[in-house]
Amino acid sequence: MFLKIALTTAFTAMLCLANVWGQCVVDDKEHEVCLERSATRIAALSPGATELAFAAGAGERVVAVVSFSDYPSAAQEIESVGSPSRLDLERLVALKPDLVLAWGTGNPSEQISVLARLGLPIYYVEPHSFSDIAGDIRDIALLAGTETQGDRAAQTFLNGIAELRSQYSNKPRVATFYQVWDEPLMTMNDEHYINQVVELCGGINVFADSSRLIPRLNNEAVLIKNPEAIIAGGMGERNAHWLEAWRTFPNLLATQRDNLFFVPPSLIQRPTPRLLEGAKIMCQRLDLARQRRN
Amino acid sequence: MLHRSPSMPLILLVFVSCATLLFSITQGSVSLSITDVSSALRSQGSQLYQTLVWELRIPRVAAAFATGALLSMAGALMQILLRNPLADPYVLGISGGASVMVLGAILVGASGIILSGAAFLGATLSSLLVFGLSQRSGQTTPMRLLLTGVVIAAGWGACITLILAIAPPQKIPGMLFWLMGDLAYAHSPWLAWVVLAMVSMLVMPFAKSLNVLARGPLQAAALGVNVVFLERFVFILASLMTAIAVTTAGSVGFVGLVIPHMMRLILGNDQRLILPASALSGGCLVTFADTIARTVIAPEQLPVGVITALIGVPTFLFLLNKGRM
Repeated sequence: MFLKIALTTAFTAMLCLANVWGQCVVDDKEHEVCLERSATRIAALSPGATELAFAAGAGERVVAVVSFSDYPSAAQEIESVGSPSRLDLERLVALKPDLVLAWGTGNPSEQISVLARLGLPIYYVEPHSFSDIAGDIRDIALLAGTETQGDRAAQTFLNGIAELRSQYSNKPRVATFYQVWDEPLMTMNDEHYINQVVELCGGINVFADSSRLIPRLNNEAVLIKNPEAIIAGGMGERNAHWLEAWRTFPNLLATQRDNLFFVPPSLIQRPTPRLLEGAKIMCQRLDLARQRRN
Repeated sequence: MLHRSPSMPLILLVFVSCATLLFSITQGSVSLSITDVSSALRSQGSQLYQTLVWELRIPRVAAAFATGALLSMAGALMQILLRNPLADPYVLGISGGASVMVLGAILVGASGIILSGAAFLGATLSSLLVFGLSQRSGQTTPMRLLLTGVVIAAGWGACITLILAIAPPQKIPGMLFWLMGDLAYAHSPWLAWVVLAMVSMLVMPFAKSLNVLARGPLQAAALGVNVVFLERFVFILASLMTAIAVTTAGSVGFVGLVIPHMMRLILGNDQRLILPASALSGGCLVTFADTIARTVIAPEQLPVGVITALIGVPTFLFLLNKGRM
């Protein structure tokens, strides 16, 4: 008799627990996202969101990605629902996602609002800082019920960044020009997270005070700033010819000291845990520029 | 060209339109069988299929048809008003005005219903500007209207280029898709259908007078048509239709120019026939083109304007070559 009551009580308690699992987090657009049960079918609508989901330990739960989702390699096996800027909603809905990781500036808001109208929970992934990246990993892990892995990944990332900060951020400043694109010539101002990477490494972004997030420039503007180091990103993984172009300006300090560096854009132009690797490379490059002063 | 029964082509076109609409509802990047679709249409069967059909396919197909119908009818009216075969709904800068407003709105971070509002505002503003500037002592000649419109359109074109040049890179894809015309962004087809029905009812009683006007204002006036009133009336209706089409789907090109010409080549130049026939066949073309755009290389989606041109250009050249013009 006692056993029966105990069992019934335990069973009821379990049922209650299962019902009240509910988790709420706040996304990068400051919207609250609540799930009643952990997400098992995640749609990641940007290559960065896919990486964050995998980092959070929820990679196996990602059922939909978008084009250019090339990392980690397991992501390439997942069904694509079109390009981030134009989604195939039909295919996406048919995959029955129970959590959508949307990209505020990349996905068309009209299409995301259709998904919201259909009752799908939307979590906007739009990290602007190192702590945002860690926060997003933790949030996704919380929603997917993989907190242990998520916490570990977030902590590893933050520790790595802290290590770089203590190692480099107090070293002598290097005036740095980060080239986002070559034609038109583009860089970023101090509101961009790449600017934070430059500062982390003890560099100073020569265009930090531009009024626009991604200013478009001409060569003249760069020549006047006369940066000590030029770092190129770009679209492919080999863009040496962007840097070769700067060699035609022998008066440029960066050219004189051969401080023309390439950092693979996939490691730095996506706000994901891989940014740590990119930051390491950038810090080493800027340190090399310091050594070349003598 | 004489037809024994003048309504015969229209009946045929209504039939083709229904077939196109049904065909488009059955097609998508997720393949549903005819039975799946028909049970979803009766709100039976799988919840997922009902969502796909009712929430995604039907609104988009309806928006596509209404956009095509509005643009084709607006094109037919503009060609009569300006007495110029090259006229299309955009020739007077209406889409340019809408584009500048929408791109400006995207630039400052607006989205959703505000973009539709901006498109409508821009289209209305542009048509008022063209109409106001082309007036001289209360009179408007088609030539003056056309030139004013073309120059204003060029001005808007410069503004569009300027906005594209200064826009942040991450906003450019959205802007380009809007400029190319894209039904992925269509919110709701209802406004377009209401305007289509309203304008059709308003314009059809004047179809006979439009036949006379197409021969020239002097002849029309001699035959007792109030030319000034009719021209203004046509201008307002065509502008309204273009504004709504652009608001629904961005500037989908080509349809408004070619469909009315195609209909004239096949059916002769009787506006009582041409206007409804243009609306129906324009609707079919855009609906069919959009079905291809969203399925042909799915999951990647194409802008509908590309497909309308790819289908329309050879068809039009074929008809032209057969030689009734």
